Amino acid sequence: MFCYSCGCHLSEHDFCTACGVDVSLYKKIVHASNMYYNEGLEKAGVRDLSGAIVSLRQSLKLNKNNIEARNLLGLVYFEMGEVVAALSEWVISKNLRSDKNIADVYIEMIQSNGSRLDSINQTIKKYNQALVYCIQESKDLAVIQLKKVLSLNPKFIRAHQLLALLYIESEEWDKAKRELNRCMDIDLNNITTLRYMRETELMLMPDETTKGIRRKNDDFVRYQSDNEIIIQPLNMKEQKRSGLASLVNIGIGLLIGLASMYFLVVPAVRSNVNSQAQEEILRIGNQLDAKSAEITDLNTRIETLDADNKKLTQELEGYVGADGTLSTIDSLFEAAYSYLETQDAQAAAEALESIAAEVDVATMSEEFKRLHQALLTTIGPELAVTYYNEARTAYNSEDYEIAIEKYTKAFYYDETNVDALFSLGNSYRRSGDTTKAIETYERVIELFEGTKSATSSRQYINSLSD
Amino acid sequence: MINFEEELKKFHPSLEIEDAEEAIYNQDLTDMADILVKMIKESEEPESKG
Repeated sequence: MFCYSCGCHLSEHDFCTACGVDVSLYKKIVHASNMYYNEGLEKAGVRDLSGAIVSLRQSLKLNKNNIEARNLLGLVYFEMGEVVAALSEWVISKNLRSDKNIADVYIEMIQSNGSRLDSINQTIKKYNQALVYCIQESKDLAVIQLKKVLSLNPKFIRAHQLLALLYIESEEWDKAKRELNRCMDIDLNNITTLRYMRETELMLMPDETTKGIRRKNDDFVRYQSDNEIIIQPLNMKEQKRSGLASLVNIGIGLLIGLASMYFLVVPAVRSNVNSQAQEEILRIGNQLDAKSAEITDLNTRIETLDADNKKLTQELEGYVGADGTLSTIDSLFEAAYSYLETQDAQAAAEALESIAAEVDVATMSEEFKRLHQALLTTIGPELAVTYYNEARTAYNSEDYEIAIEKYTKAFYYDETNVDALFSLGNSYRRSGDTTKAIETYERVIELFEGTKSATSSRQYINSLSD
Repeated sequence: MINFEEELKKFHPSLEIEDAEEAIYNQDLTDMADILVKMIKESEEPESKG
């Protein structure tokens, strides 16, 4: 301690040993200042930062040169997120004592990190902006802004309190309480925090904090948690149960279990069995349908085969005589016998034509074909001449239908007769059947190339084609 | 019951770093010791004049 008049070091006496001024009151003031500093230090030690601020300010009011008190006050401000206030105290402290001052270290710590200083400045600006939003009734924006502030500076008590106030205003009690708890983690004895906390707890659990509110006749407790109102009944005590009652209860439980089993499990099992049976029935039904379809198909085939069989039987009956021989063979034998007996070529020819109408000679047996050919060779030339003459007569009398029939037969019995074939073509042409006429002329050209008839046929084909 | 409007009035804008210098200069640092010294000096002056 130094004399306020001459600056000399003071002794235990109540006057300055150098200049002689009375320093008793001055010493008391300095001692009171130190006492407040000690008090502030103790409060800061138990995180009663608000109380510490009061004591330290008091200390500085008594003695502005109490550097320790000023530095501690700056530190307390810094802990509460009030960085500018802290810096102010440290700067004043440094000005009062420039050497061996811890404030140097604190100032250096903040100023050396540019980004941190910038972050602090941003925090302050955002907090002020949030305050403006609150005044403008833009509470949602204020909440967003304050959340940003607290993400940058989580120890900023005023921001926590303002956010809690906004939550209280919007009746979000849980959130308000969370913010206030954070405030109390930093500063235990802040009056504003305690007041908000009391209000919040009152709203969260009114029955516990205000016992007088609940009426005696109420048989339930009602309180709000988040957005739900919880109603808890009172005077609900479980009855004491004896051993017998427990056994009865176990028995009832077993009965209920069995009943559940009967009404729930058994129907499920039955249903399962029924569904399996249904599936089996369905499978068998499908197989039955397949078999039925197969039987129907086979029956259809049987019917078709029966019809074919009947048709073929009838056809065979047409060929087979009473004694089992083929009727066509009989006809051939009869024609041969008739010609040998009577030399009647016309009758034999009719018999042969009848055979040719009934069967295809080319498909018959070799013996049949030889006999048939022998008969044709024998009676053919004679018949050809006869038919040719009859055809010419008909042609001359312009009966072209008969002429066509006869010329056809004449050529049938004598395939070397070019005149018969050529005249057949002429008959077709004269009768107006141009298609048949051209076909016949083409056959003349094909079979008798180089003959006069072939040349004439070509001319007729040309004229008919035009 | 907390009145939001009334409570809001208790919150004041925070000093920005640019304003810190001015705030420091304007701070009244007069303490009890200064007042005591002043009072002693004032009380001594009439005596010396008399």
